[in-house]
Amino acid sequence: MRRYVWGVTGLVLFFTMAFSSFTVAGPGMRITIAGSTTVLPVASRSAQKFMESSSIRILVNAGGSGVGIHSVAGGRVDIGMASREVSPDESKRFEKSNLKIHPVGIDAVACAISSEVYDAGVRQLTPQEIADIYLGKIRNWKEVKGPDRQIVVVDKERHRGTRHVFMQYIFGNALQRTPGALLVTGSNNEEQAKIAQSDSAIGMLSFAWLNDDVKAVALVDRGKEILPTWEMVRQGSYPIVRKLNFITAGEPENEVKAFIDFVKGPEGQKIVEESGYIPLGSSQP
Amino acid sequence: MKADFRRGGAWFAEPLVWVFAGMNFIFLGCAVGLGIFLVVESVPVLRAEGLGFWSGENWWERFGALPMICGSLIVTGMAVFLVLPVALSGALFTSEFLPPSFRRRVKGIMELLAGVPGIIYGLLGVSFLTTGIKHAFNLLDGNTLFTAGVLLAIMILPMVLTLSEDALHSVPSEFREAAESLGLTKLQTALRVVLPQSLPGIVGAVLLGTGRAMGETVAVLLVVGSLDRVPGFNLFVSGQTIPSKLGREAAEALGSGLHWSALMGLGLTLFLLVAVLTFSGNLFFRRSRQ
Repeated sequence: MRRYVWGVTGLVLFFTMAFSSFTVAGPGMRITIAGSTTVLPVASRSAQKFMESSSIRILVNAGGSGVGIHSVAGGRVDIGMASREVSPDESKRFEKSNLKIHPVGIDAVACAISSEVYDAGVRQLTPQEIADIYLGKIRNWKEVKGPDRQIVVVDKERHRGTRHVFMQYIFGNALQRTPGALLVTGSNNEEQAKIAQSDSAIGMLSFAWLNDDVKAVALVDRGKEILPTWEMVRQGSYPIVRKLNFITAGEPENEVKAFIDFVKGPEGQKIVEESGYIPLGSSQP
Repeated sequence: MKADFRRGGAWFAEPLVWVFAGMNFIFLGCAVGLGIFLVVESVPVLRAEGLGFWSGENWWERFGALPMICGSLIVTGMAVFLVLPVALSGALFTSEFLPPSFRRRVKGIMELLAGVPGIIYGLLGVSFLTTGIKHAFNLLDGNTLFTAGVLLAIMILPMVLTLSEDALHSVPSEFREAAESLGLTKLQTALRVVLPQSLPGIVGAVLLGTGRAMGETVAVLLVVGSLDRVPGFNLFVSGQTIPSKLGREAAEALGSGLHWSALMGLGLTLFLLVAVLTFSGNLFFRRSRQ
């Protein structure tokens, strides 16, 4: 009998200690980062490089721009990643957090379509056509000189950075509702996969995530065709451009500052370029 | 000492019983705490939206949960509808007709599959099922409520199967022997004697499966299309379920006022749906026994 009592008491003690050790573990020297899946490759590659020559541990998580902004404002991470600006609504709500924005690179957002549609001849779209597709007024590719096939309209979660800049350009409203949408996706990966799996999809995607299955169309802005190329972005002609941002609550200090400086520095900017984006300073969006 | 126990003597003098009682209180505290937490957290959204929270279709400017509620009911209903015939006949065959050595192997496989986490099924679904269903039904896109229903059916099948089989198998063999000595065939015994006897266990198995299907998050999230829309009577369109909505928006809404409260409201709704389901399942079962 007594043995059991000791056993149970031991178990209770064990659990108490196990739980309390969570709060004790990991003092200081740790940076947590979360947010935009567009900025994620830059942050995780930089973190890897940074940790090679430092004892600071860096944890990088995804979630989306909205998550990045909310998490850093709520004090749950040290750095939030966002592929868009902080919206007026957010900056009002998080006024107390004193959010500071640190651009680390430049990206462009493409109107991406399934390669099957691209190969069938859809090479350019006007903002009006894209708007009509998202509003459900245009439902078939043949209405925009494509094959006779219904359009799979892929939207993104409301808080996503890519969606904000894309909808801002198409509708002049980052939070535009899209009754024509058929699917809603989250990360860049998911959006890319859903467009690639379909043979008649349209969506929005960062340039760095385009591939053979997911192609970008040229935009026709004020009667002029603008090809979706980095060349056009560098010239400042491509219209859907955004900064990739790190966000901190208040001015960054110590190890957080060291990491942000690292990403903004020559080594970090090389990583930005390798990740498929444009380094700071080479263009003014 | 043990004899005291059985006679219900001075049990409170036993320190071990106090530990058991403490553990019981931990459980009660968790259950009650969860309920209170959900209710308290969803008060703001219910105050802002009123009953419109459950009847509203708009989750953009406002918080209307009807699309998610419909999606959850449709997807779960479909999964149960698809699973019932397969699970029941499979369980009956395994329990009543398979030789014991085979039965043990089949059971082993079932139990192994029943423990596979949802994400594995989700990955299967997103890589094969969506494209398969798209081609099989010649759809515009394969991310639909139907796909989610089929995926959930596949997911809960092993669990419902093995628990139903347990229920069937635990019917004492005297019943079978008596039935067979009265001249019933093996099939008649299985259908008219063993099956009715094991009904409580089977209802329990189905309810557990339904609960798992209703709460499954990530497998559904990957294939359902995630569009907040009341689907009507068409199963081949994309939709949203309560867990998939929570999975998509929880991280963004954490600690941000009404949005968070709305997600907690969704959680409360799911909690209530499962509670109603379990309760009515038990009620139905008790009725059918009388």
